[in-house]
Amino acid sequence: MATQAEITRAKWDKLAPRFDSMASAGAEKRWKPFKSALFSHMQGKILFLALGTGLDIPAWPKGQDITAIDISPKMLAEAQPRIAAYEGALSAELMDVHAMPFAEGTFDQVYTSCTFCSVPDPVGGLKALHRVLKPGGQLFMFEHTGSKHYPFRQMMDLMSLLSEKVGPAMNRDTVSNVRAAGFQITEVDNIYLDVVKTIKAVKAVEPSA
Amino acid sequence: MDHRLFYVVGDFLVSLLIGMVAGLAAWALVGPGWNMWLAMAAMMPLGMVIGMLIYFPLGSRLGAMEAMIPAMYTGMWAGMVVGMMEAMMPLSLRHALEMGAACGIAEIIFIWIANTILRGVTRDSKAR
Repeated sequence: MATQAEITRAKWDKLAPRFDSMASAGAEKRWKPFKSALFSHMQGKILFLALGTGLDIPAWPKGQDITAIDISPKMLAEAQPRIAAYEGALSAELMDVHAMPFAEGTFDQVYTSCTFCSVPDPVGGLKALHRVLKPGGQLFMFEHTGSKHYPFRQMMDLMSLLSEKVGPAMNRDTVSNVRAAGFQITEVDNIYLDVVKTIKAVKAVEPSA
Repeated sequence: MDHRLFYVVGDFLVSLLIGMVAGLAAWALVGPGWNMWLAMAAMMPLGMVIGMLIYFPLGSRLGAMEAMIPAMYTGMWAGMVVGMMEAMMPLSLRHALEMGAACGIAEIIFIWIANTILRGVTRDSKAR
């Protein structure tokens, strides 16, 4: 029987060849100003989760030290031209967020972009990000989530019934998931309704004994 | 609302188109013999499907959620309203298209207002 990671990998491998030509290309154009503003905070040792075909790379500031991971080898293969074009230290690795081999407190910042609609265990995945962040490290997310308001909430629930079969869920409460994973949320910026948003959070510094 | 002209005009025209197509479908399928509630219930999901079908080819230009949510919402309302009216009294094709278009305009304005209310920054640990 296939594991959850194998199911997720197969789903994204299947989508990889036509990912850019689907709605993602239009979404990237529309979201680019907001993503660029979020990515402008990049500094230090950075983990970028779910690189996909690398559509976000052109919005990154130059000269950063970034480790980017993705669960799908076919997505990473599609991303190669954009990886090669990035002017900075970018290493792309095939990896499942639930099984990252990085030591605790490896990264200064973690970035995600339309990722936690698709991670099978969102709180578990966010806990894994919390582990690899240094104390005081920052989490920056650009995500689409469910809505808390009628009629959008019902509509997102309905869309998820279909969309989850082929790709992302549309109705996740990612802000609550971030909090449940142990992060301290510092800012949520609703970009479109309360569905498309940026989330900024920190890993609290443990008080010394 | 998005202030970039391309998206303002694009969102408006797509909503108008979806309203008219959903209205046309409701006009073609529903007749005066239909139960009004049945017509409304049947045309709502059909309108949403029409909205999605029109969204898919346009999504690569207009984006994801910003295009998908109004498409489904407009299709649902235009299908329901025209279906309801058609069940109550026969509509001309022109009247059905006009009603569908009016639904499209009303829905995109509703979404622009909702977006203006909901968007923005929350800076505290209870951020939603």
